Amino acid sequence: MTSVSLPAAGAAKPPMLRGGRILLYVVLAAGAILMITPFVWMLLTAFKSNAEIAKFSWLPTELRWRNFVEAMQTAPFLRYFRNSLFIAVGETLFTLAVCTTAGYALAKLPLRGGKALLNYFIVLLTVPFQIILVPLFLIVKSVPLFGGNNIVGQGGIGWLNSWWGLIIPLGAAPLFTFLARQFYVSLPDQLAQAARVDGLGEFGIFWRIMTPLIKPALITIAVFQIEAAWNGFLWPLMITTSDEMRPLQLGLAIFSQNPAEIQWPYLMAGTALATLPMIVLFVFAQKRFVEGMANVGIKG
Amino acid sequence: MSTTLERPAAASTGKIAPAKGDRTLIRGQVRAGWTLLTPALLHSGIFIVVPVIAVLVLSLTDYSFGDSFEWVGFTNYTDLFRDPNFLASLWHTVLYAIVVIPISMAISLAVAIGLNQKIRGLGFFRTAFYIPTVTATVAVATIWLWIYNPGSGLANGFLSLFGFAPNRWLADPGTALPSLMVVGIWQGLGTKIIIYLAALQGVSRDLLESAQLDGAGRWQKFVNVTWPAIGPVQFFVLITSIVGTFQVFDLVYVMTQGGPGSSTRVLVMDIYQNAFQNLKLGYASAETVIMMIVIAIFIAAGRLLQKADTND
Repeated sequence: MTSVSLPAAGAAKPPMLRGGRILLYVVLAAGAILMITPFVWMLLTAFKSNAEIAKFSWLPTELRWRNFVEAMQTAPFLRYFRNSLFIAVGETLFTLAVCTTAGYALAKLPLRGGKALLNYFIVLLTVPFQIILVPLFLIVKSVPLFGGNNIVGQGGIGWLNSWWGLIIPLGAAPLFTFLARQFYVSLPDQLAQAARVDGLGEFGIFWRIMTPLIKPALITIAVFQIEAAWNGFLWPLMITTSDEMRPLQLGLAIFSQNPAEIQWPYLMAGTALATLPMIVLFVFAQKRFVEGMANVGIKG
Repeated sequence: MSTTLERPAAASTGKIAPAKGDRTLIRGQVRAGWTLLTPALLHSGIFIVVPVIAVLVLSLTDYSFGDSFEWVGFTNYTDLFRDPNFLASLWHTVLYAIVVIPISMAISLAVAIGLNQKIRGLGFFRTAFYIPTVTATVAVATIWLWIYNPGSGLANGFLSLFGFAPNRWLADPGTALPSLMVVGIWQGLGTKIIIYLAALQGVSRDLLESAQLDGAGRWQKFVNVTWPAIGPVQFFVLITSIVGTFQVFDLVYVMTQGGPGSSTRVLVMDIYQNAFQNLKLGYASAETVIMMIVIAIFIAAGRLLQKADTND
């Protein structure tokens, strides 16, 4: 905020009025503070004692690190954590496998009706998950030969309360197929031609020539999917019945279910632990990630 | 796959690159294409297309997890419009969308324009605005639940700095829904800002400069060059926002459970309860179909708005 005397960087442009520039910084900084304050407040609360949170105060008198330890003991956060990690990794690998292959085929291979297929994925991309909630549950419940089901998918619970059910239906969203396709489109066809001349097969071209070239896209897709998986709530809420399988967000929600009995310092400590990995991931992936978003041509 | 290669395919322009003798090559490519595409087609078919059809079919039945069900025609639909819970949740969802979408789009665009200047600390600002977006809604909701705590929460603490009386926020039916809207707007800014930023960077510098040479001011440049150029992206943001706001659930589930009374009951919440607590799947499906229709109406309206805008 004390960014006074900034020699306006845009040399070629007429220099903006200094007052305007300062105002811009003030407004942006105020906005940034508004965005971050809730997290600061969360962290500060996580260190307070129960007595301290009874009335409004900013800083804790002492940093009670043991709140974090005690929070972990009150609820099985470690297990929730492990479950979330497992789901996130599973969904991401599944998404990368299915969506890069499909995206490549749509972008680079001469399929009859390729345009229509592309439109098919674009239309599906707009179907909100909530709309298919109920039948998706039924489908997952009646996956044949899983969870005690017979060959026609009756009699058992199918993929309910299983890793399969948590991972597969939410992986490979059409959005990622579309995104992958957009990246492959931008690669020159001559590369593939040259590889063909060298005797490389179509799958080799896909896997060894083209895919390594879209690493930024892969990172973008992975970050998106990890985020989505880590933050998932409604689906796990529907299909898990045992605490054993529950991911972090569900654990948090259960923890905060009865407002009268919430132990705020513990809850905030748990929330901080649940939040931190994604923030760290974003800060590290930020540059690549934003590049990816900018390059993909959201314009279609 | 690609076997016959006496002649390196001549055309380098199109993606098909056909030359007369290359039938085998093309056939190989087509085969590879379908192989690569099949998993995605199967997945989307089973987990999206079939469910969408199923929801339409189920909405005409009284299915409730049992073995059998009966066709009930449009009974579910007529019942819904006499169901106060449904009507309340429909109204709240529409209200939420109408308030949250324009405000969050306007703020995002303004911030993106600010960040599109040559300024220092761009990475910091971008991260600051994006962090709420990458944070799970449940975590966000939990944090705000504490902020809105009537006794010692930040919201009342902040108000008291200026001498305002404390508010009951989520506990008061009058302020509960607006309180949720604030969180929704706050959380959704990040994605929109980044998309707008990408769009703004794609606006033609030449056009901007020539407008400047013609003596256009800041505002005129924005109205005549920037605004039309980011039109398609506006539409993209609008659609994703519509879909997003109609999906609001986690926020409500954690912060209010639809209360106090039914002042924050939203559609997905009602669908969830009807399906998985009252076990009325047919009924919940009918509700879902109505939600689909309302979303479609919103998108159609958005499209009209966009057309009107570009025809000027």
